[in-house]
Amino acid sequence: MTKEVCYQIRHLTAYEYSGRIDLCQSIAHLRPLLDGSQKTIEHSVEVYPKPHFQTERQDYWDNGTLYFEVQGSHQSLKVIATSKVIKRIADPVVPRSGTAWDDLSARLKMGDSDENGLYFANFLLPTLSCPRLAEIDEFLAPSLQPGRDSMELVSEIMTRINTEFDYVPGATDTTTPVVTLLENKQGVCQDFAHVMIVALRRIGIPVRYVSGYLETLPPPGVAKLQGSDATHAWVEAYSRATGWVGFDPTNNIIPAHQHIKIGHGRDYFDLQPLKGTFVGNGSQRLTVEVDVERC
Amino acid sequence: MSGTTYSDRIVSPVSMASLGYAPLPNRRDEAFDSNGKIVPEWDGLFESIGRHGIGILDEWDAVATRISRERGLAYRPVSVESETDGGWSLDPLPWLISSEKWKPLESGISQRTRLYEALLKDAYGEQRMLSEKLIPAEILLANNGFVRSLHNLTPGGDRVGLGMSAFDIARDTVGNPFVVNDRFDSPFGLGLALENRTVINKVLPRLFRRCGVEQIGQFFIDWFKFLVSQAPGGKEDPLVVILDPSSQNEDSEASFLANYCGVLRVHPADLTVRGGEVWIKTLKGLVPVDVIWKLMSGKRIDALESEIRGGGGISGIFEVMRMGRVSLASHPGSEVLQSPGFYPYLPKLCRAFLDEELELSPVATWWCGTSKALSHVTANLSKMVIKSVGHHHDFQTQYGSRLSSAELERLQERIKAHPESFVGQEELRISTVPTVRADGVVPRGAVLRAFSFPDEEKGAVVMPGGLARVSSADGTVVSTRSEGESKDVWISTGRQPDGFSIASVLERSHPAVPDIVPSQKGENLFWSGRYAERAHAASRFASRVLSCRDQGFSNDDQFEVAHEDFLLEALFEVFDSEKLLDGEMDQDKRLEMVLVNPDCPAGIAYNLNRFHYATQATRESWSPASIRAIESAGQLWQKVSKSIDPELNVSSDLFELQLNLSGFLGLNLDSMTRDEGWALLDAGRRIERGKIITSLLIFLLEGNFEEDMKSLLNESVLFILDSARTYQRRYQDTPQTAYTVQLLLSEVDYPRSIRHVIDRLVDICEKIPDPSQHAHPRAMLAAASRDLTLLNERIEMEIDAGIFLDSELLVEMRKLRDFFINLSDQITVSYFSHTVES
Repeated sequence: MTKEVCYQIRHLTAYEYSGRIDLCQSIAHLRPLLDGSQKTIEHSVEVYPKPHFQTERQDYWDNGTLYFEVQGSHQSLKVIATSKVIKRIADPVVPRSGTAWDDLSARLKMGDSDENGLYFANFLLPTLSCPRLAEIDEFLAPSLQPGRDSMELVSEIMTRINTEFDYVPGATDTTTPVVTLLENKQGVCQDFAHVMIVALRRIGIPVRYVSGYLETLPPPGVAKLQGSDATHAWVEAYSRATGWVGFDPTNNIIPAHQHIKIGHGRDYFDLQPLKGTFVGNGSQRLTVEVDVERC
Repeated sequence: MSGTTYSDRIVSPVSMASLGYAPLPNRRDEAFDSNGKIVPEWDGLFESIGRHGIGILDEWDAVATRISRERGLAYRPVSVESETDGGWSLDPLPWLISSEKWKPLESGISQRTRLYEALLKDAYGEQRMLSEKLIPAEILLANNGFVRSLHNLTPGGDRVGLGMSAFDIARDTVGNPFVVNDRFDSPFGLGLALENRTVINKVLPRLFRRCGVEQIGQFFIDWFKFLVSQAPGGKEDPLVVILDPSSQNEDSEASFLANYCGVLRVHPADLTVRGGEVWIKTLKGLVPVDVIWKLMSGKRIDALESEIRGGGGISGIFEVMRMGRVSLASHPGSEVLQSPGFYPYLPKLCRAFLDEELELSPVATWWCGTSKALSHVTANLSKMVIKSVGHHHDFQTQYGSRLSSAELERLQERIKAHPESFVGQEELRISTVPTVRADGVVPRGAVLRAFSFPDEEKGAVVMPGGLARVSSADGTVVSTRSEGESKDVWISTGRQPDGFSIASVLERSHPAVPDIVPSQKGENLFWSGRYAERAHAASRFASRVLSCRDQGFSNDDQFEVAHEDFLLEALFEVFDSEKLLDGEMDQDKRLEMVLVNPDCPAGIAYNLNRFHYATQATRESWSPASIRAIESAGQLWQKVSKSIDPELNVSSDLFELQLNLSGFLGLNLDSMTRDEGWALLDAGRRIERGKIITSLLIFLLEGNFEEDMKSLLNESVLFILDSARTYQRRYQDTPQTAYTVQLLLSEVDYPRSIRHVIDRLVDICEKIPDPSQHAHPRAMLAAASRDLTLLNERIEMEIDAGIFLDSELLVEMRKLRDFFINLSDQITVSYFSHTVES
């Protein structure tokens, strides 16, 4: 059954600096993507202090990319993205590719491309934060029954990451290498996405990192807290039969109407929600608040 | 003089035998054929040797070495900080190539430039190479030189292509040329080629004319025109800069190229992106930049978008490129094309993109990503050169012929694990050229690095000549980057040379470097002056301590030790340095710290290192003689530091150091243009001197010394400031604080008095522009000058009246010292940091 939901999203990122910052340049990936299942009908980004210059474009992956500069000395930076998104999506089913993961003749080739003309090489090759790791083989081994449907295998890997890894905020940061995640078996959504990426690329399944939002629902009878929703990350894997299909290892579900997608890339660093460089002294403190409300 | 002067005389060229030259077995020699006969284009050179006798080689070698050293530009100097004496040496014998042999090479290089220009546009645009499956996708997409964020770079897209490109060409045993390397992302060696030509022109001027060597001056004129033509919106008279990533000596060829081509040299920290434009921070404020000739790795050039974290660079510059408001030569994503992974597909690519047959073959290459190539490479591993195709950061090129069987096995495993990451290349037995060694002329493998850039009309402009790099002792491997031996390359026409010689370019059509002083350069000049003065003062302190020890002026050991302690204490106060000495009781150890400890801010080594750093960063500002003084100082102190005499007998070294430093400071007075850069250098030096003098006077006035000690310390202070003789002449008395103060404060026209320091600063600062924000230092200086006049009048009165009071003067002296500190801060805020008030 296809369901339509409308969301109002407010995403605040705030930096407090211990010293004075004289100049900052930033890139933001905050505009929710337009695709078959979602439509962004309103979107704005406010920055304080007001940028002296800003410009928006689509990047290599077609993600909305905002560049801005703040000149003049400041001690805090606030970026508030507000988006209204309509999600129209059928209830998910566990997908099947119809081909076995170990059927070499059915494998997608580096030089073949998806419906948008992006070559699978992009999603099969290692990156700096998702390198080729022999250490993943041990994790993969129990799932690699010969002849198994490749999407069914992907689904199981999602489930196994969900059960074998602990969700521990603060245990990792954006630079924690996947090999450490495999040792410690804990992390947050982007870590699980990276583990899944390393695992699937290892067996030749094209996979990409997805950044977005997740609507969370409070327990019945409890009011929802402001800022309690989160920026979220999951992955999408590809087969010819299914096209790109989402998998959320953090929640062990196939993303549907509660997942609002900003964009995709090879790994986290292709679409960090906000990154920047600044000229000045001091350390920084980061606060992120996300509200996903139905409207 | 015409070349015929020589052909009248019958001179037999020196033969291979009398030269004692023995070509390597199974290798082709460029100068002698297989029968030992001289290859015709080399005749002139060997005739010349024959005429002068073989002994002339030593002379040429010595002259080349001397001129290179004097020029001191393209050849890396010894760094104070590192022990390696890397760098390029120059062989006096050029590599001669006849016009007939050069023609096909030139045509091949030109075609290759056009081909790679097309490939670059395709890689970052349409990607036909992938959609038409002309190459395996990994060759492009797995390469970390492929900068995804530069894809579809528009609207400046048409202008963003190749810039200066380099092709390494070697010849095999039958004489066929092969390309062994392509370099598009800031190739090394252009400055070295230029420098080699300049030097060899001076070593062999007549032979150069006689061989009718093609001039390379026009190439640089055309290159400058190319850079200008890249300006966004076809802007006339654009500002072109050369971006040198290192502020140190690694790419000292950058400063040579900058001067030669008349472009301003800047470092990443000089540039800033604001409001969608790239600006240089200059002493006069922010100045917009139009074209950047970059000598910096493209994928690191934008700190904001670089995938390499902590790579440095200029944040936001890609965004400015996307808006078409700045042009970079070359395209920052051009590194991807350097991958040898393209080689097996080049003939096909050439047909697809140019509809031509590839003229100049790359060395035979197999990409291991196909099973057929993989088995060929692994089966022939001991004859292969294995290279990474650009996604293994930790893989060094391996020569199968040099590996043991165990090593070969490991390499094979490594290739088999990720075959798509590697190529195997046939190991060429590259041809040799005669090279001068201490024990005679010997054959050495050589690779020609040719340079070219794209041209709308001609397709490409190729330098007639290039840089030859010569292999190490045994054979085939030629150093790629950091050091080695090089040669000039002569394209010999056999007729009178025409075109612009490199010297005439400098004299005639040479554009002037724009009159802009980047802030960072200004700051480095300012600190060059300050550190030179500091190092000088610290060495005078050390000299004083040592001479007191030598003289043994007192019978009282305790007294001598106490004097030395006071002096060292004063030294640390002068430089606001932490009291590193407190824990160390041994007199010698303490002095040694001042002499050679690089972490002691009051010490000589510390200040010399910083002096070296600041002067290296501003290398193009110095005359050859200044560079010599800088380098002698560095080398001298490196030597002293390495083997410090336990007896600390370094008095003569200290004296030599002081000569070098005074030489440096004096030379610049004479040889530098008196622009704002010079003004900042001189200002830095005067401010530091003012601070040192006032600090020493505070030390004298503040201390509670006994009479004998006070007198001796007065003498020491005068010695340190080189003022003992002047004092004697003027007062003819044993040193007293009142007179010392008077001399050092009031003496007009005496360079070591505060009066003179401030008068000079008043003059110098008029050379410094009005800053775009903040105040010019002139008001501050005028006030200080008035205050000093009043103070000096008062001191004179007090001395005459015999009521000179140390304690009251101390307050004034502290104010004066603070003035110098504040002046330095004011200059820093006004000219070096460009903060916008919000």
